[in-house]
Amino acid sequence: MTPCPKESDSHWLECRLCRASIRDRDLGRGEELRCERCSELVKKANGGASPQAALALALTGLLLVGLANAFPILSFDVAGNTQSNKIITGVFALRDQGYAPIAALVFFCAIAAPALHFATVAYVALAGCVRAALPGVRSAAHAAEVLEAWSLAPVFAIACVVAVVKLDMLGTVDWKSGIAWIAMLALCSLALGQVFDREAIEEMLEEAT
Amino acid sequence: MTAAVRLDLARALVVAGIVLYVPANILPVMTITVTGDVEPLTVLGGVQELYDSGLWPVAGVVFLASIVVPFLKLACLSWILLLHGTPHLRPQRTAVYRILHQVGTWSMIDVFLLAILAAVGQLGILASVQPEPGGLFFAAVLLCTLFAAEFYKPTLIWNPDGDPQTAQ
Repeated sequence: MTPCPKESDSHWLECRLCRASIRDRDLGRGEELRCERCSELVKKANGGASPQAALALALTGLLLVGLANAFPILSFDVAGNTQSNKIITGVFALRDQGYAPIAALVFFCAIAAPALHFATVAYVALAGCVRAALPGVRSAAHAAEVLEAWSLAPVFAIACVVAVVKLDMLGTVDWKSGIAWIAMLALCSLALGQVFDREAIEEMLEEAT
Repeated sequence: MTAAVRLDLARALVVAGIVLYVPANILPVMTITVTGDVEPLTVLGGVQELYDSGLWPVAGVVFLASIVVPFLKLACLSWILLLHGTPHLRPQRTAVYRILHQVGTWSMIDVFLLAILAAVGQLGILASVQPEPGGLFFAAVLLCTLFAAEFYKPTLIWNPDGDPQTAQ
């Protein structure tokens, strides 16, 4: 849920969710103002989050998406026969076995959406850093918000743990380096969710123009 | 998209999700074959297998993510949609929507698990993992609930006929 302040005048804020009027006040570091009626976040103090931090995390995330996809996640051994997998291997396996819709869903949520989310956030954060409304920055900001819901790297990381537990009952499983990159990608994704403040950057851009 | 269209789409998706939830839980999601032992697994069967192996914390996580969350999401969305247009329990409905939005995607664990197992389970007669139609139904349930929650913006709880794009 994103914060949605909308100033009606200099002393009152309007909750965009339930339209209640909330008296504006100065917030201390890390404080937030919520609607008394619906509990919607109306205003949030900038708790040290900056477009620079969001940009750094988004670029790190993009790099981690590449690494997480380049290295095998785990290997599975039964009676001396070993098979290892990358994220994309599962997509191909599902497609080849006639389950293209599930393959597409996995591809989108585990590969495409995280990459596009980091890319769009990086673009919006870059605009915030240079304080200039770069071409298509508002569309990118909207896309970043939509893609965040579909970027499921943390869920994929948990699924890897469950897969190892399950495969361990059937054969021998070894972690590979890809799992470390996936874990870091998941942490980066969660951290970016805390740092990236689309509303604040949009306000910053409005002030700049 | 108008509020009425969003409401209709959300209702249709929730009804579809409820219908699909039944085969998603009855049909096997995958068949695991290890050294000749063939074992079709439903979503609940996978949880049971983990629990029987003494891995109850993992079984608990999968049970919550794959069974409880989709069920609760369908039940809560139905409740929210049934009360649409009435002034009853608006703060509660908003709070429930927020929780659904936070936890809804965790149900994807089972779909990702299927992809990982299908990828490594390609060892011929020694070990293989074959996806089954239950996986398709399960993925469809998840998509129905995710899109229903996307179409029904929480601002519609407070402003049933208003512009849902003004907030989320």
